[in-house]
Amino acid sequence: MHVTIRIAVALASGLLAFGEAAAQAACPVKIGGVLPLTGSMAPITKKIAQSAELAIEHINQGGGVKGCPVQFILRDDQGQPTVGVDAAKYLVEVERVPAFTGTISSGVTGPIIASVTAPSKVVQITCCSTASPFTLDGRSGGYFFRTIPTSKTQAYATASETTKRGLKKTAIIYVNTDFGTDMLRFYKAAVGKLGGEVAIEVPYNDNQPSYRAEVSKALAAKPESLLLIGFPKDAVTIVREWLSLGGTKNIALNNSMRTMDFVNGVGAKFVEDFFGMDNAQVAGPHVDAFNKAFEDKFKTDSKGPGVHTQYDALMVMALAMNIAKDLTGPSIKDAVRRVHVAGGAPVGTGPAEYKKALELIRAGKPIKYFGATGPIEFDANGDVTGPALVWKVKDGQIVTDRVITIEEMQALFKRIEN
Amino acid sequence: MLTGVFSYLVFFACIVLILGILTLGLNLQWGFTGLFNAGIVGFYAIGAYTHAILTAAPQPQYLGNFGLPWLVGIVAAMAATAFAAWLIGLLTIRLRGDYLAIATFGIAVSIQLVALNWEPLTGGSQGLSRIPKPLAGVFDTPLSFNLWFLCLLAALVAAVYAALERILRSPWGRVLKAIREDETAAVALGKSARGFRLEAFVLGSTLMGLAGALYVSFIGFVSPFDFLPILTFQVWAMLIAGGSGNNRGALIGALLVWTIWSASGIAVTKLVPPSHAAQGAAIQVILIGLLLILVLLYRPRGLIGEAAVVSRHADD
Amino acid sequence: MIGQAIADGILTGAIIALGAIGVSFTLQIMRFANFAHSELLTWGAYLALVFVAFAGPGTPTGPFSFGWQLIAAAAFAALMTGLVAWAVDDLVFRNLRRRGAHPLTMVFAAFGAALVMRNVVVLIWGHGSHYYTRELQMSVELLPGVRMLPDQIFILALALVVVVCLHGFLTYSRTGMAMRAMAESPPLAQVCGVEVDAVVRWTWILSGALAALAGVFAGLTPQLHPEIGFNLLLALFAAAILGGTGSLVGAVIGGLLVGLAENLSLLFISAGYKTAMPFLVLLLVLLVRPQGLFGEKA
Repeated sequence: MHVTIRIAVALASGLLAFGEAAAQAACPVKIGGVLPLTGSMAPITKKIAQSAELAIEHINQGGGVKGCPVQFILRDDQGQPTVGVDAAKYLVEVERVPAFTGTISSGVTGPIIASVTAPSKVVQITCCSTASPFTLDGRSGGYFFRTIPTSKTQAYATASETTKRGLKKTAIIYVNTDFGTDMLRFYKAAVGKLGGEVAIEVPYNDNQPSYRAEVSKALAAKPESLLLIGFPKDAVTIVREWLSLGGTKNIALNNSMRTMDFVNGVGAKFVEDFFGMDNAQVAGPHVDAFNKAFEDKFKTDSKGPGVHTQYDALMVMALAMNIAKDLTGPSIKDAVRRVHVAGGAPVGTGPAEYKKALELIRAGKPIKYFGATGPIEFDANGDVTGPALVWKVKDGQIVTDRVITIEEMQALFKRIEN
Repeated sequence: MLTGVFSYLVFFACIVLILGILTLGLNLQWGFTGLFNAGIVGFYAIGAYTHAILTAAPQPQYLGNFGLPWLVGIVAAMAATAFAAWLIGLLTIRLRGDYLAIATFGIAVSIQLVALNWEPLTGGSQGLSRIPKPLAGVFDTPLSFNLWFLCLLAALVAAVYAALERILRSPWGRVLKAIREDETAAVALGKSARGFRLEAFVLGSTLMGLAGALYVSFIGFVSPFDFLPILTFQVWAMLIAGGSGNNRGALIGALLVWTIWSASGIAVTKLVPPSHAAQGAAIQVILIGLLLILVLLYRPRGLIGEAAVVSRHADD
Repeated sequence: MIGQAIADGILTGAIIALGAIGVSFTLQIMRFANFAHSELLTWGAYLALVFVAFAGPGTPTGPFSFGWQLIAAAAFAALMTGLVAWAVDDLVFRNLRRRGAHPLTMVFAAFGAALVMRNVVVLIWGHGSHYYTRELQMSVELLPGVRMLPDQIFILALALVVVVCLHGFLTYSRTGMAMRAMAESPPLAQVCGVEVDAVVRWTWILSGALAALAGVFAGLTPQLHPEIGFNLLLALFAAAILGGTGSLVGAVIGGLLVGLAENLSLLFISAGYKTAMPFLVLLLVLLVRPQGLFGEKA
């Protein structure tokens, strides 16, 4: 028993010390983050964390939150739900963050919403968790937002593109997670309405050394095209095995593959016939400004899943915290939708634009935030919609083939869902 | 401020106690019966999903979700896990040491894959949500609910602990120990080793199912990602580091290992700037590995080794 | 379809077999489940990468995507990883053995060591993927409906050569015989004058070397990343136990069976259950033969 008591006391004193230090002053304002810095998602999280860092830097250069600098506290969820929940609870209770961002895997986001975000009424904005039920069934009490459209948008856009290109007899190889099954479900529903044919669906569990079995199964259905839904690391293995086993080059990819890791992994010269989908960053000066800032700071391109949406998640959070009358959960929640008001003065990315936004907020004027992904407007559920784009690889560079505008997307939704 | 730290500690303690129940179940199987069960998450999953399927609010796309009361869910979870453990035990009990481990491991992997793929029942990769928390209407703030749940858990753990201690000092428990120490002698005295082992296996697994049901009703959400092999490793580490063959050791091990996991994460955020978060996270895992090795190097029998029980006739 | 599945299964199985041999012998000779073994695969793959970084993978020779430099890299990695394995034993496991630690304590020390080894790789090389060569080979049709990459055929051939040499070593050399004696019965072996420390040392070095080869082959088809060994860990153990620990033939057959089970099962069931297949096969075998196919009855 002595040992137990000693350990418990040590732990409690340690945390009390941290807690005391944290409680000293109103400044700095803390923003929390929970991301899978280690584990199987780690390769894509690196850039997302960098994007978060850039956002915090811009926020602080532009004036912080309510006159205080912002301190970003980032915890690793290791891809394990219990670890993520513990990290989120720590951020909310011990560090007293008024809002936090996170995470990527829905297996971790789900428990966080259920046990931390909703009960403690703290705003959570995710860059990357696309499982549609989180916003659609009201479980978060309105405290959960995401700057990335759910899989529905991307799936419908993909179906529209594959039918437009006349791709027939499509084999679908998809990652066996909520993301993959969500995409598959919406894609099939869309293809059913738009015309097009699914030859075979083969799920794959991630983190395997080889996918020849799955590829062979898909090839046995003699498909004329492939839709691959997954993440870059395993996708490289699958595509290479597909091509070397004689599979067709008519390959459609999802947004996570829009990264040089994937292109170089397969080999730039082999991917020229592929195309992929992504949520569009509406081209414009604010998107370009973000891309340039990212490239300048980190000496690497800004392409990759979650990079733009993470930046926007934090900018939206900081802007909302400035608009809110105080830093309590309910106030910030109500303020989130006021970062993009019809008729508001446009503000973009970067420290200068942020500073401009703060001045407008101080003067009580409405703003309209144009982020790294374009205009950010949350619907009643906390979701964003947006245009989509088709990308491909040309001369070793990822380029945009065409953009599907918001109007076209809305028409598409109508066509599929009626 | 201080209430925040207190609130976090209450939440932390709830997780520790749930993990503690898992470890107590494992201790019964390994510490007292010598069964190398590497399929802990499988039984944890059966308990969790049974509870979730029975208590979650009905939804049209799922077969289950019956909206039944919390207590029903808990009892059913334990019953379902006991039954599954009985079947699995029948198949695998006679396997020796490491072989039992890999067999139970494989069964746990299969259970997780069923949870992942059988969407109409388990929600598939989306999981099941809106699992009601007991008395959430009465205790409607996070702190009050967590505090009430902590008391509930503490009472349950105390009851389980007391029950285990009694069982192990009972005639049944003594036979179990005899089988573990010297099976040939015990069998020569007419005890059916396999029968006793099966009973211990089922009882230990039932505790794991209970932990699963409690976890799910504490968090309010379940998905297949809660049941990955890493958790099995963590619970084993808790038992070994705390001291197997020893119920107090099991609980202390749960506290120690989970504290290492959590505190290393906090330490990294304090010491490493966010720009190096990825490397910091790798260092955190290295720290966890090193701490584990150090604990085992200096206390190979765990923090609290097993109390040697010698017959009072030994010196006659 | 079935021909391709068999070919794929044999290929996966060969890599698993090489890794499983080390696991099997550690289980039988040192009597504990070494969960750090998978990290020896990872380290082997990355050490070969270091060699390739200096020497290059070589211009593709013949139908293969690499030159002799990769083979040299593999040999280098095998040597170095053997030494790494020996070092890990020296630092961690030997101390525990001397203190009379319970085998399970060793298992968890191995788990801790695995966490360290894997994340040191992350610290040095990062989480992203690396490649030995950027070539993308096209498979050749060996039989109607059965395609394999020339690289994969090479791996199979090399794995076979390694296994045959190992068999020769175990059967005819003094150390090999000593290892087999210890695998069968440590007390008896000691009575016969077998030097336990030497056998232990050789077991680790061989395990490490074989693991390194498996790691290089896995990394060749087609990429390396820090979790490459960890993702194979359970398959390695399933194969070793399925074949019966302490048996070289058992580990090889076990590996092949695991590979075949994974690939053939897709002909009947959804790929979502693929990763459970090795265990189901294992359970079936253990039900009929609790000591594994070629294991000694307890």
